[in-house]
Amino acid sequence: MIGPLQSLERAFSAVSPRIWLAIVVLAVGVVVAYLVAGITSRLLDRLGVVETIEGTSFERTTNEFGTSTARIITQLSALFTFLIAVFVAITVAELRFGDLFWSAVAVFVPQLFAALVILVVGVVIADKVELVVSERLRGIKLPDIGLLPLVAKYSVLFVAVLIALSQIGVAVLALIVLLGAYAFALIVFTALATQDILASGTAGVYLLLTQPYSIGDEIKVGGQQGIVQEVDLLVTRIETDSEEYIIPNRTVLKDGIVRIRNR
Amino acid sequence: MTSLSDILTDIVADVDAVFLFGPNGSFYEQFDEIQDVVVIGAENTVEAETFVELPIPFADIKDRIKFGIEGAMDDDLVGEGDVVACIGSLFSDDADFASRVRVDETMRSGIYELFTNSRADPAVISDVFDVALELGRKGQKGKPVGALFVVGDAGKVMNKSRPLSYNPFEKSHVHVGDPIVNVMLKEFSRLDGAFVISDSGKIVSAYRYLEPSAEGVDIPKGLGARHMAGGAITRDTNATSIVLSESDGLVRAFKGGKLILELDPEEY
Repeated sequence: MIGPLQSLERAFSAVSPRIWLAIVVLAVGVVVAYLVAGITSRLLDRLGVVETIEGTSFERTTNEFGTSTARIITQLSALFTFLIAVFVAITVAELRFGDLFWSAVAVFVPQLFAALVILVVGVVIADKVELVVSERLRGIKLPDIGLLPLVAKYSVLFVAVLIALSQIGVAVLALIVLLGAYAFALIVFTALATQDILASGTAGVYLLLTQPYSIGDEIKVGGQQGIVQEVDLLVTRIETDSEEYIIPNRTVLKDGIVRIRNR
Repeated sequence: MTSLSDILTDIVADVDAVFLFGPNGSFYEQFDEIQDVVVIGAENTVEAETFVELPIPFADIKDRIKFGIEGAMDDDLVGEGDVVACIGSLFSDDADFASRVRVDETMRSGIYELFTNSRADPAVISDVFDVALELGRKGQKGKPVGALFVVGDAGKVMNKSRPLSYNPFEKSHVHVGDPIVNVMLKEFSRLDGAFVISDSGKIVSAYRYLEPSAEGVDIPKGLGARHMAGGAITRDTNATSIVLSESDGLVRAFKGGKLILELDPEEY
């Protein structure tokens, strides 16, 4: 006589112990994933990430979909942990089908995870950069200034996408060349545009530190003679009875200074 | 029989402009419908279109009104013969007085020009006023001190003066309004001589003996050598002098050789 209990027992023993182990691993994986989600959300909260990204457009978009950036990252990390558990379980169970496929997936999934996280972080940073830059420029009342925060935003976004793509092994050489050209142009144009100011600034630091002339001295610089009224970082103001000359400090250093001795 | 509100109506009847002294946001909004509202205060907190900045919070309400009217005249907001209603706060933070003032040219005492049309930055002049008023209020270790600040046109002032001793501010980059400066000036005020301050507020020198020609300087009799020197230098140069008297403790400002403003530090 075979009772239902015995048949159940036989059915169990038919299953290899490896499968049992795999199921246990899977169960542990679910618990760990849950814990990881909890720890990540705490960590994000503690680090002030949630407050920092408040108000960025990405955060607002995620809010529209009834979630938040922090929750997306939390869910991603939980999912990733669970996937690792699944792989471990499959390995333990020694399921023979598609061995090659699984090993490829096992390599690809962490990369995909990293790429996704980088993308999310990149988008958030880009939004934040846009906010900060436009906040800074609020004082300047110029209609076209709105372009600058956008440029800054898309620059950050571009770099983030680049890193994410290279993470999952897409060929990005052309994009990197583009980035190089962009950065090069930025540096060259900035250097060209500010060279006068930089030169005057460094000369001004020298003049302020050593004070070869001070307020009240009569000097001659490049053919202009007068009494020094003011020396600041970028310009020196000298004055006669009828005229005031504002001389960039780089000219002062380049042309030299003639001090006039009255007494 | 006239009621109290009739008197108030008479005060504000047919005015050409309304001056609000330091109004708060909700009070200012009540004047939305009224034309020619001028806001006068230390800061334009209500984002009014027409605004006159008060560089120092004049304790005397007459000075405050005069300054506001001068500023408005300078900006062509009001002209000679206009009648202005002034509303502001005297005792509390809310608006508690109304006054009717007729604008005329004799009201131009030069107080407004002292700040806005001087060579030095208006902020620099009001910073020097702050230092002088504080020095007058507290004195040096409780004893009254005198001090003489010559602000603006520093190059020319330096050429019209000579050092009494080594200049403690040589090769330094100290500006009035820097946090530690008040203490520093207080210590140096023990020494005789004038402080010379540039247009941008840099303290150029202390210990200066001013050598202007005192010809044609018109300052009230009874003021001492410090006031005479301070007044005279402003005639020879485009500087503004701010003098703290040791004997009566008042702060006086000179420009163009004339006494423009007199303030009592105790009131601030």
